[in-house]
Amino acid sequence: MYVARESGLHRLHPLTKGSLSLLLLVTGLLLPGNWTSYFLVLFVILPVAYWGKILRNFIGIVWGISLPFILSVVIIQSLFWGKGTPIFEFWIIAPKQEGAIFALVSVGRIILVMAGFILFAMTTRPDTLMISLKQVGVPSSLAYIIVTTLQIIPRFQSKAFTILDAQRSRGLETEGNILTRARALVPIILPLVLSSLVEVEERAIAIEARGFNSKKEETSLIEIPDTNGQIILRRVFIVITILTIIARVTWQLLK
Amino acid sequence: MLDNIKKEFSTRTLVLIPIAIAINIAIGELVVRLKLPVYLDSIGTVLVGALAGPWAGALTGALANLIWGLFNPFAAAFFYVAAVIGLLAGLAGKRGAFENESPRWLSVLVGAVFVFSLTMFILAFTNATTDDTGFTTYPSMAELFSSYAIIFVVAILVGAAIGYFLLQRGGYAGIWGLVTGVVAAIISAPTAAYVFGGVTGSGTDLLVAAFRASGGGILASVMAQGAVSDPFDKMLSFMVVWLILGSLPARFKAR
Repeated sequence: MYVARESGLHRLHPLTKGSLSLLLLVTGLLLPGNWTSYFLVLFVILPVAYWGKILRNFIGIVWGISLPFILSVVIIQSLFWGKGTPIFEFWIIAPKQEGAIFALVSVGRIILVMAGFILFAMTTRPDTLMISLKQVGVPSSLAYIIVTTLQIIPRFQSKAFTILDAQRSRGLETEGNILTRARALVPIILPLVLSSLVEVEERAIAIEARGFNSKKEETSLIEIPDTNGQIILRRVFIVITILTIIARVTWQLLK
Repeated sequence: MLDNIKKEFSTRTLVLIPIAIAINIAIGELVVRLKLPVYLDSIGTVLVGALAGPWAGALTGALANLIWGLFNPFAAAFFYVAAVIGLLAGLAGKRGAFENESPRWLSVLVGAVFVFSLTMFILAFTNATTDDTGFTTYPSMAELFSSYAIIFVVAILVGAAIGYFLLQRGGYAGIWGLVTGVVAAIISAPTAAYVFGGVTGSGTDLLVAAFRASGGGILASVMAQGAVSDPFDKMLSFMVVWLILGSLPARFKAR
Protein backbone atom coordinates (compact mmCIF):
# COMPACT_ATOMS: atom_id res chain seq x y z
CA MET A 1 0.00 0.00 0.00
CA TYR A 2 3.07 2.25 0.38
CA VAL A 3 3.13 5.18 -2.05
CA ALA A 4 6.56 6.74 -2.62
CA ARG A 5 6.51 10.56 -2.57
CA GLU A 6 8.95 13.28 -1.63
CA SER A 7 7.23 14.88 1.33
CA GLY A 8 7.79 15.93 4.91
CA LEU A 9 5.34 13.30 6.05
CA HIS A 10 7.27 10.52 4.28
CA ARG A 11 10.50 11.71 5.86
CA LEU A 12 9.08 11.59 9.41
CA HIS A 13 10.32 8.83 11.66
CA PRO A 14 7.97 5.79 11.32
CA LEU A 15 7.28 5.73 15.05
CA THR A 16 6.20 9.40 14.99
CA LYS A 17 3.60 8.53 12.35
CA GLY A 18 2.63 5.38 14.24
CA SER A 19 2.04 7.23 17.50
CA LEU A 20 0.05 9.91 15.65
CA SER A 21 -2.23 7.24 14.14
CA LEU A 22 -2.65 5.61 17.55
CA LEU A 23 -3.48 8.98 19.12
CA LEU A 24 -6.09 9.71 16.43
CA LEU A 25 -7.73 6.28 16.82
CA VAL A 26 -7.87 6.43 20.63
CA THR A 27 -9.13 10.00 20.89
CA GLY A 28 -11.60 9.58 18.03
CA LEU A 29 -13.15 6.46 19.54
CA LEU A 30 -12.98 7.31 23.25
CA LEU A 31 -13.61 11.05 23.60
CA PRO A 32 -17.25 11.93 24.28
CA GLY A 33 -19.34 13.52 21.55
CA ASN A 34 -20.86 11.86 18.52
CA TRP A 35 -18.97 13.84 15.93
CA THR A 36 -15.40 13.74 17.28
CA SER A 37 -14.38 11.25 14.61
CA TYR A 38 -15.64 13.45 11.75
CA PHE A 39 -13.83 16.41 13.28
CA LEU A 40 -10.52 14.51 13.44
CA VAL A 41 -10.84 13.19 9.89
CA LEU A 42 -11.65 16.62 8.43
CA PHE A 43 -9.28 18.81 10.42
CA VAL A 44 -6.35 16.50 11.16
CA ILE A 45 -6.14 13.47 8.88
CA LEU A 46 -7.01 15.14 5.57
CA PRO A 47 -4.61 18.10 6.06
CA VAL A 48 -1.83 15.67 7.06
CA ALA A 49 -2.53 13.55 3.96
CA TYR A 50 -2.39 16.73 1.86
CA TRP A 51 0.97 17.56 3.43
CA GLY A 52 2.12 14.03 2.50
CA LYS A 53 1.09 14.70 -1.16
CA ILE A 54 -1.09 11.59 -1.19
CA LEU A 55 -4.50 13.22 -0.72
CA ARG A 56 -6.09 12.03 -3.97
CA ASN A 57 -4.95 8.37 -3.69
CA PHE A 58 -5.66 8.43 0.01
CA ILE A 59 -9.29 9.50 -0.34
CA GLY A 60 -9.80 6.94 -3.10
CA ILE A 61 -8.48 4.03 -1.05
CA VAL A 62 -10.22 5.00 2.20
CA TRP A 63 -13.50 5.43 0.34
CA GLY A 64 -13.09 2.13 -1.53
CA ILE A 65 -12.40 0.15 1.64
CA SER A 66 -15.04 1.85 3.78
CA LEU A 67 -17.89 1.83 1.25
CA PRO A 68 -19.24 -1.71 1.87
CA PHE A 69 -19.28 -1.02 5.63
CA ILE A 70 -20.97 2.33 5.17
CA LEU A 71 -23.69 0.95 2.90
CA SER A 72 -24.28 -1.95 5.25
CA VAL A 73 -24.45 0.10 8.43
CA VAL A 74 -26.72 2.78 6.93
CA ILE A 75 -29.16 0.23 5.51
CA ILE A 76 -29.25 -2.09 8.51
CA GLN A 77 -29.30 0.44 11.32
CA SER A 78 -31.75 2.91 9.83
CA LEU A 79 -34.23 0.44 8.32
CA PHE A 80 -34.11 -2.26 11.01
CA TRP A 81 -33.91 -0.06 14.09
CA GLY A 82 -37.08 -1.32 15.80
CA LYS A 83 -38.93 1.27 17.90
CA GLY A 84 -38.31 4.91 17.01
CA THR A 85 -39.53 8.02 15.21
CA PRO A 86 -39.88 7.29 11.50
CA ILE A 87 -38.45 9.86 9.08
CA PHE A 88 -40.93 8.86 6.37
CA GLU A 89 -43.05 5.81 5.70
CA PHE A 90 -43.40 4.15 2.35
CA TRP A 91 -44.93 0.64 2.24
CA ILE A 92 -42.72 -1.40 4.62
CA ILE A 93 -39.78 1.01 4.35
CA ALA A 94 -39.65 3.27 7.40
CA PRO A 95 -36.19 4.48 8.39
CA LYS A 96 -35.99 5.67 12.01
CA GLN A 97 -34.37 8.91 13.13
CA GLU A 98 -32.52 7.28 16.03
CA GLY A 99 -31.17 4.61 13.67
CA ALA A 100 -30.03 7.13 11.11
CA ILE A 101 -28.12 9.09 13.77
CA PHE A 102 -26.50 5.89 15.05
CA ALA A 103 -25.56 4.98 11.48
CA LEU A 104 -23.97 8.39 10.90
CA VAL A 105 -21.95 8.11 14.12
CA SER A 106 -20.79 4.63 13.07
CA VAL A 107 -19.84 5.86 9.59
CA GLY A 108 -17.59 8.46 11.24
CA ARG A 109 -15.90 5.83 13.38
CA ILE A 110 -15.45 3.44 10.44
CA ILE A 111 -13.87 6.16 8.29
CA LEU A 112 -11.65 7.24 11.20
CA VAL A 113 -10.30 3.71 11.82
CA MET A 114 -9.71 3.03 8.12
CA ALA A 115 -8.16 6.47 7.49
CA GLY A 116 -5.90 6.27 10.57
CA PHE A 117 -4.44 2.94 9.49
CA ILE A 118 -4.18 3.77 5.81
CA LEU A 119 -2.47 7.12 6.42
CA PHE A 120 0.26 5.24 8.26
CA ALA A 121 0.50 2.37 5.77
CA MET A 122 0.64 4.66 2.72
CA THR A 123 3.52 6.79 3.98
CA THR A 124 5.69 4.25 5.80
CA ARG A 125 7.95 1.72 4.11
CA PRO A 126 7.66 -1.64 5.94
CA ASP A 127 11.45 -2.08 6.15
CA THR A 128 12.05 1.32 7.76
CA LEU A 129 9.29 0.51 10.23
CA MET A 130 11.10 -2.68 11.19
CA ILE A 131 14.45 -0.98 11.63
CA SER A 132 12.92 1.73 13.80
CA LEU A 133 11.17 -0.90 15.94
CA LYS A 134 14.51 -2.64 16.44
CA GLN A 135 16.08 0.66 17.47
CA VAL A 136 13.61 1.08 20.32
CA GLY A 137 14.30 -2.43 21.58
CA VAL A 138 11.76 -4.73 19.92
CA PRO A 139 13.42 -8.18 19.64
CA SER A 140 14.90 -8.81 16.21
CA SER A 141 13.08 -12.15 15.97
CA LEU A 142 9.77 -10.25 15.89
CA ALA A 143 11.15 -7.99 13.18
CA TYR A 144 12.22 -11.10 11.25
CA ILE A 145 8.67 -12.53 11.43
CA ILE A 146 7.03 -9.36 10.13
CA VAL A 147 9.48 -8.74 7.29
CA THR A 148 9.44 -12.37 6.16
CA THR A 149 5.65 -12.47 6.23
CA LEU A 150 5.37 -9.41 4.00
CA GLN A 151 7.81 -10.98 1.57
CA ILE A 152 6.24 -14.44 1.29
CA ILE A 153 2.53 -13.54 1.17
CA PRO A 154 2.47 -12.94 -2.63
CA ARG A 155 4.40 -16.18 -3.21
CA PHE A 156 1.91 -18.17 -1.16
CA GLN A 157 -1.07 -16.64 -2.90
CA SER A 158 0.27 -17.67 -6.29
CA LYS A 159 1.23 -21.10 -4.89
CA ALA A 160 -2.35 -21.69 -3.73
CA PHE A 161 -3.73 -20.84 -7.15
CA THR A 162 -1.07 -22.96 -8.89
CA ILE A 163 -2.21 -25.94 -6.80
CA LEU A 164 -5.82 -25.11 -7.62
CA ASP A 165 -5.03 -25.15 -11.35
CA ALA A 166 -2.96 -28.33 -11.06
CA GLN A 167 -5.73 -30.21 -9.26
CA ARG A 168 -8.26 -28.90 -11.76
CA SER A 169 -6.22 -30.29 -14.63
CA ARG A 170 -6.32 -33.64 -12.85
CA GLY A 171 -10.10 -33.46 -12.93
CA LEU A 172 -10.96 -31.82 -9.60
CA GLU A 173 -14.39 -30.18 -9.72
CA THR A 174 -14.18 -26.61 -8.45
CA GLU A 175 -17.45 -25.37 -9.81
CA GLY A 176 -21.01 -26.50 -9.29
CA ASN A 177 -23.08 -26.72 -6.15
CA ILE A 178 -21.79 -25.83 -2.73
CA LEU A 179 -20.96 -29.42 -1.73
CA THR A 180 -18.79 -29.92 -4.81
CA ARG A 181 -16.93 -26.69 -4.15
CA ALA A 182 -16.47 -27.54 -0.47
CA ARG A 183 -15.10 -30.96 -1.36
CA ALA A 184 -12.46 -29.28 -3.56
CA LEU A 185 -10.91 -27.58 -0.51
CA VAL A 186 -9.07 -30.53 1.04
CA PRO A 187 -7.07 -31.53 -2.09
CA ILE A 188 -5.88 -27.92 -2.30
CA ILE A 189 -5.24 -27.15 1.35
CA LEU A 190 -3.32 -30.34 2.16
CA PRO A 191 -0.61 -29.98 -0.56
CA LEU A 192 -0.28 -26.26 0.18
CA VAL A 193 0.25 -26.72 3.91
CA LEU A 194 2.36 -29.88 3.73
CA SER A 195 4.77 -28.47 1.14
CA SER A 196 5.06 -25.27 3.18
CA LEU A 197 5.88 -27.20 6.34
CA VAL A 198 8.71 -28.98 4.56
CA GLU A 199 10.16 -25.53 3.92
CA VAL A 200 10.31 -24.79 7.65
CA GLU A 201 13.23 -27.15 8.20
CA GLU A 202 15.32 -25.66 5.37
CA ARG A 203 14.67 -22.09 6.40
CA ALA A 204 15.48 -22.78 10.05
CA ILE A 205 18.84 -24.29 9.14
CA ALA A 206 19.53 -21.45 6.68
CA ILE A 207 19.01 -18.63 9.17
CA GLU A 208 20.81 -20.41 12.00
CA ALA A 209 23.81 -20.87 9.72
CA ARG A 210 23.76 -17.08 9.20
CA GLY A 211 24.05 -16.32 12.89
CA PHE A 212 20.36 -15.65 13.60
CA ASN A 213 20.73 -16.68 17.25
CA SER A 214 23.84 -14.59 17.80
CA LYS A 215 23.71 -12.51 20.98
CA LYS A 216 26.00 -9.78 19.58
CA GLU A 217 24.53 -6.34 19.05
CA GLU A 218 23.28 -5.85 15.50
CA THR A 219 24.05 -2.98 13.19
CA SER A 220 21.91 -1.80 10.30
CA LEU A 221 22.82 -0.63 6.82
CA ILE A 222 20.00 1.91 6.74
CA GLU A 223 19.96 4.68 9.33
CA ILE A 224 16.58 6.21 10.11
CA PRO A 225 16.89 9.97 10.65
CA ASP A 226 15.37 11.09 13.93
CA THR A 227 15.27 14.53 15.56
CA ASN A 228 14.89 15.66 19.16
CA GLY A 229 11.73 17.50 18.18
CA GLN A 230 10.16 14.26 16.94
CA ILE A 231 11.20 12.36 20.07
CA ILE A 232 9.42 14.97 22.21
CA LEU A 233 6.40 14.97 19.87
CA ARG A 234 6.11 11.17 20.14
CA ARG A 235 6.22 11.33 23.93
CA VAL A 236 3.50 14.00 23.95
CA PHE A 237 1.30 11.89 21.62
CA ILE A 238 1.70 8.81 23.79
CA VAL A 239 1.04 10.69 27.04
CA ILE A 240 -2.17 12.18 25.60
CA THR A 241 -3.22 8.72 24.36
CA ILE A 242 -2.72 7.17 27.80
CA LEU A 243 -4.45 10.10 29.55
CA THR A 244 -7.45 9.76 27.21
CA ILE A 245 -7.75 6.05 28.00
CA ILE A 246 -7.47 6.68 31.76
CA ALA A 247 -10.01 9.55 31.61
CA ARG A 248 -12.49 7.44 29.65
CA VAL A 249 -12.14 4.43 31.96
CA THR A 250 -12.59 6.48 35.17
CA TRP A 251 -15.54 8.35 33.63
CA GLN A 252 -17.13 5.03 32.70
CA LEU A 253 -16.56 3.66 36.21
CA LEU A 254 -17.99 6.74 37.95
CA LYS A 255 -21.12 6.75 35.80
CA MET B 1 6.56 -20.03 33.13
CA LEU B 2 9.00 -17.70 31.39
CA ASP B 3 11.22 -20.64 30.51
CA ASN B 4 8.25 -22.45 29.01
CA ILE B 5 7.41 -19.44 26.85
CA LYS B 6 11.03 -19.19 25.69
CA LYS B 7 11.02 -22.84 24.76
CA GLU B 8 7.99 -22.30 22.53
CA PHE B 9 9.87 -19.74 20.45
CA SER B 10 12.59 -21.91 18.97
CA THR B 11 14.12 -21.01 15.61
CA ARG B 12 11.73 -23.47 13.98
CA THR B 13 8.73 -21.72 15.51
CA LEU B 14 10.00 -18.32 14.36
CA VAL B 15 10.30 -19.69 10.83
CA LEU B 16 6.91 -21.37 11.03
CA ILE B 17 5.01 -18.22 12.05
CA PRO B 18 5.43 -16.21 8.78
CA ILE B 19 4.54 -19.31 6.77
CA ALA B 20 1.44 -19.82 8.92
CA ILE B 21 0.32 -16.21 8.40
CA ALA B 22 0.80 -16.58 4.64
CA ILE B 23 -1.26 -19.80 4.78
CA ASN B 24 -4.04 -17.92 6.61
CA ILE B 25 -4.25 -15.33 3.87
CA ALA B 26 -3.81 -17.74 0.93
CA ILE B 27 -6.56 -20.11 2.13
CA GLY B 28 -8.77 -17.17 3.10
CA GLU B 29 -8.60 -15.93 -0.49
CA LEU B 30 -9.02 -19.39 -1.94
CA VAL B 31 -12.28 -19.78 -0.02
CA VAL B 32 -13.49 -16.48 -1.44
CA ARG B 33 -12.55 -17.68 -4.94
CA LEU B 34 -14.52 -20.91 -4.43
CA LYS B 35 -17.46 -18.82 -3.12
CA LEU B 36 -17.85 -20.82 0.08
CA PRO B 37 -19.83 -19.31 2.96
CA VAL B 38 -17.01 -19.66 5.53
CA TYR B 39 -13.82 -17.72 6.33
CA LEU B 40 -11.24 -20.44 7.13
CA ASP B 41 -8.68 -17.66 7.60
CA SER B 42 -7.16 -18.97 10.82
CA ILE B 43 -5.89 -22.42 9.76
CA GLY B 44 -2.26 -21.28 9.99
CA THR B 45 -2.83 -19.77 13.43
CA VAL B 46 -4.41 -22.99 14.71
CA LEU B 47 -1.55 -24.95 13.17
CA VAL B 48 1.10 -22.95 15.06
CA GLY B 49 -0.89 -23.30 18.28
CA ALA B 50 -1.08 -27.06 17.78
CA LEU B 51 2.58 -27.51 16.82
CA ALA B 52 4.36 -24.93 18.99
CA GLY B 53 2.08 -23.99 21.88
CA PRO B 54 -0.43 -21.41 23.13
CA TRP B 55 1.88 -18.37 23.29
CA ALA B 56 3.26 -18.91 19.82
CA GLY B 57 -0.33 -19.40 18.59
CA ALA B 58 -1.45 -16.17 20.23
CA LEU B 59 1.45 -14.21 18.71
CA THR B 60 0.71 -15.69 15.28
CA GLY B 61 -2.95 -14.68 15.47
CA ALA B 62 -2.24 -11.15 16.62
CA LEU B 63 0.51 -10.55 14.03
CA ALA B 64 -1.55 -12.12 11.24
CA ASN B 65 -4.37 -9.63 11.73
CA LEU B 66 -2.09 -6.65 12.33
CA ILE B 67 -0.10 -7.36 9.16
CA TRP B 68 -3.28 -8.01 7.21
CA GLY B 69 -4.39 -4.64 8.58
CA LEU B 70 -1.81 -2.99 6.33
CA PHE B 71 -4.09 -3.99 3.44
CA ASN B 72 -7.43 -4.16 5.23
CA PRO B 73 -7.73 -2.14 8.47
CA PHE B 74 -10.90 -4.04 9.43
CA ALA B 75 -8.85 -7.14 10.28
CA ALA B 76 -6.45 -5.19 12.47
CA ALA B 77 -9.23 -4.09 14.82
CA PHE B 78 -9.84 -7.76 15.69
CA PHE B 79 -6.24 -8.74 16.36
CA TYR B 80 -7.03 -9.67 19.98
CA VAL B 81 -9.70 -12.14 18.80
CA ALA B 82 -7.17 -13.87 16.54
CA ALA B 83 -4.72 -13.99 19.45
CA VAL B 84 -7.29 -15.75 21.64
CA ILE B 85 -8.01 -18.24 18.84
CA GLY B 86 -4.29 -19.09 18.63
CA LEU B 87 -4.09 -19.35 22.43
CA LEU B 88 -7.04 -21.75 22.62
CA ALA B 89 -5.63 -23.83 19.75
CA GLY B 90 -2.39 -24.10 21.71
CA LEU B 91 -4.21 -25.21 24.85
CA ALA B 92 -6.13 -27.76 22.76
CA GLY B 93 -2.81 -29.03 21.40
CA LYS B 94 -1.42 -29.38 24.92
CA ARG B 95 -4.44 -31.48 25.88
CA GLY B 96 -3.77 -33.73 22.87
CA ALA B 97 -6.89 -32.68 20.93
CA PHE B 98 -5.06 -32.94 17.62
CA GLU B 99 -3.41 -36.30 18.30
CA ASN B 100 -5.99 -38.44 20.03
CA GLU B 101 -8.82 -39.91 18.04
CA SER B 102 -12.20 -39.53 19.64
CA PRO B 103 -14.80 -42.31 19.68
CA ARG B 104 -17.33 -41.74 16.93
CA TRP B 105 -20.32 -41.56 19.29
CA LEU B 106 -18.73 -38.51 20.90
CA SER B 107 -18.59 -36.72 17.56
CA VAL B 108 -22.26 -37.56 16.98
CA LEU B 109 -23.16 -36.21 20.42
CA VAL B 110 -21.20 -32.98 19.92
CA GLY B 111 -22.75 -32.36 16.51
CA ALA B 112 -26.26 -32.95 17.82
CA VAL B 113 -25.86 -30.75 20.92
CA PHE B 114 -24.32 -27.95 18.85
CA VAL B 115 -26.97 -27.77 16.12
CA PHE B 116 -29.69 -28.20 18.77
CA SER B 117 -28.50 -25.24 20.86
CA LEU B 118 -27.93 -23.14 17.76
CA THR B 119 -31.51 -23.78 16.64
CA MET B 120 -32.87 -22.94 20.09
CA PHE B 121 -30.83 -19.75 20.13
CA ILE B 122 -32.11 -18.59 16.74
CA LEU B 123 -35.71 -19.50 17.51
CA ALA B 124 -35.57 -17.70 20.87
CA PHE B 125 -34.30 -14.66 19.04
CA THR B 126 -36.82 -14.64 16.21
CA ASN B 127 -39.70 -15.21 18.64
CA ALA B 128 -38.72 -12.44 21.02
CA THR B 129 -41.30 -9.72 21.45
CA THR B 130 -40.53 -6.09 22.25
CA ASP B 131 -43.22 -4.02 23.99
CA ASP B 132 -43.71 -0.26 23.71
CA THR B 133 -41.28 0.56 26.50
CA GLY B 134 -38.52 -1.22 24.60
CA PHE B 135 -38.41 -4.17 27.01
CA THR B 136 -37.67 -7.44 25.22
CA THR B 137 -39.21 -10.70 26.39
CA TYR B 138 -37.87 -14.01 25.20
CA PRO B 139 -40.12 -17.06 24.95
CA SER B 140 -39.66 -19.80 27.55
CA MET B 141 -38.04 -23.08 26.54
CA ALA B 142 -41.28 -24.99 27.08
CA GLU B 143 -43.10 -22.70 24.63
CA LEU B 144 -40.38 -23.18 22.05
CA PHE B 145 -40.34 -26.96 22.39
CA SER B 146 -44.11 -27.28 22.08
CA SER B 147 -44.42 -25.06 19.03
CA TYR B 148 -41.30 -26.18 17.14
CA ALA B 149 -40.98 -29.85 18.14
CA ILE B 150 -40.39 -31.06 14.57
CA ILE B 151 -37.69 -28.48 13.88
CA PHE B 152 -35.83 -29.55 17.01
CA VAL B 153 -35.96 -33.23 16.04
CA VAL B 154 -34.64 -32.35 12.57
CA ALA B 155 -31.89 -30.20 14.15
CA ILE B 156 -30.74 -33.08 16.36
CA LEU B 157 -30.69 -35.46 13.40
CA VAL B 158 -28.80 -33.00 11.19
CA GLY B 159 -26.33 -32.35 14.00
CA ALA B 160 -25.80 -36.06 14.57
CA ALA B 161 -25.21 -36.57 10.85
CA ILE B 162 -22.69 -33.69 10.77
CA GLY B 163 -20.96 -35.25 13.76
CA TYR B 164 -20.84 -38.69 12.19
CA PHE B 165 -19.71 -37.77 8.68
CA LEU B 166 -17.81 -34.52 9.17
CA LEU B 167 -16.27 -34.75 12.61
CA GLN B 168 -15.64 -38.51 12.27
CA ARG B 169 -12.86 -39.41 14.69
CA GLY B 170 -11.74 -35.82 15.18
CA GLY B 171 -14.30 -35.16 17.88
CA TYR B 172 -11.83 -33.63 20.34
CA ALA B 173 -10.49 -31.13 17.78
CA GLY B 174 -14.07 -30.39 16.73
CA ILE B 175 -15.18 -29.65 20.31
CA TRP B 176 -12.25 -27.30 20.87
CA GLY B 177 -13.04 -25.58 17.57
CA LEU B 178 -16.67 -25.07 18.57
CA VAL B 179 -15.70 -23.67 21.98
CA THR B 180 -13.12 -21.38 20.35
CA GLY B 181 -15.76 -20.14 17.90
CA VAL B 182 -18.19 -19.31 20.71
CA VAL B 183 -15.48 -17.42 22.61
CA ALA B 184 -14.47 -15.58 19.42
CA ALA B 185 -18.08 -14.56 18.75
CA ILE B 186 -18.48 -13.18 22.27
CA ILE B 187 -15.24 -11.20 22.47
CA SER B 188 -15.41 -9.77 18.94
CA ALA B 189 -18.97 -8.46 19.30
CA PRO B 190 -18.19 -5.33 21.41
CA THR B 191 -15.64 -4.05 18.85
CA ALA B 192 -17.90 -4.88 15.93
CA ALA B 193 -20.84 -3.12 17.57
CA TYR B 194 -19.02 -0.06 18.93
CA VAL B 195 -16.46 0.68 16.22
CA PHE B 196 -18.18 -0.62 13.09
CA GLY B 197 -21.84 -0.07 13.99
CA GLY B 198 -22.45 -3.82 13.97
CA VAL B 199 -21.61 -4.60 10.36
CA THR B 200 -18.82 -6.52 8.64
CA GLY B 201 -19.44 -5.27 5.10
CA SER B 202 -19.98 -8.85 3.93
CA GLY B 203 -22.77 -11.39 3.44
CA THR B 204 -23.17 -12.15 7.15
CA ASP B 205 -24.68 -8.67 7.54
CA LEU B 206 -27.95 -10.16 6.31
CA LEU B 207 -28.01 -12.15 9.55
CA VAL B 208 -27.48 -8.98 11.59
CA ALA B 209 -30.33 -7.33 9.69
CA ALA B 210 -32.58 -10.32 10.41
CA PHE B 211 -31.81 -10.24 14.13
CA ARG B 212 -32.27 -6.47 14.31
CA ALA B 213 -35.62 -6.78 12.55
CA SER B 214 -36.76 -9.36 15.11
CA GLY B 215 -36.08 -6.96 17.94
CA GLY B 216 -32.51 -7.70 19.08
CA GLY B 217 -30.28 -4.92 20.38
CA ILE B 218 -27.17 -3.99 18.39
CA LEU B 219 -24.68 -5.84 20.60
CA ALA B 220 -26.98 -8.86 20.93
CA SER B 221 -27.56 -9.03 17.17
CA VAL B 222 -23.84 -8.91 16.41
CA MET B 223 -23.21 -11.61 18.99
CA ALA B 224 -25.99 -13.71 17.51
CA GLN B 225 -24.54 -13.31 14.03
CA GLY B 226 -21.14 -14.41 15.35
CA ALA B 227 -22.68 -17.33 17.24
CA VAL B 228 -24.18 -18.61 14.00
CA SER B 229 -21.10 -18.25 11.77
CA ASP B 230 -18.02 -18.43 14.04
CA PRO B 231 -18.35 -21.82 15.81
CA PHE B 232 -18.92 -23.66 12.54
CA ASP B 233 -16.03 -21.87 10.88
CA LYS B 234 -13.60 -22.53 13.73
CA MET B 235 -14.74 -26.15 14.00
CA LEU B 236 -13.85 -26.62 10.32
CA SER B 237 -10.46 -24.90 10.83
CA PHE B 238 -9.59 -27.14 13.78
CA MET B 239 -10.72 -30.19 11.81
CA VAL B 240 -8.53 -29.25 8.84
CA VAL B 241 -5.53 -28.88 11.16
CA TRP B 242 -6.36 -32.26 12.69
CA LEU B 243 -6.34 -33.72 9.18
CA ILE B 244 -3.04 -32.01 8.32
CA LEU B 245 -1.31 -33.21 11.47
CA GLY B 246 -2.59 -36.71 10.78
CA SER B 247 -0.79 -36.75 7.42
CA LEU B 248 2.46 -35.19 8.66
CA PRO B 249 5.48 -37.46 9.04
CA ALA B 250 6.06 -38.35 12.71
CA ARG B 251 9.60 -36.95 12.41
CA PHE B 252 8.23 -33.43 11.92
CA LYS B 253 5.84 -33.54 14.85
CA ALA B 254 8.50 -34.83 17.23
CA ARG B 255 10.18 -31.42 17.29
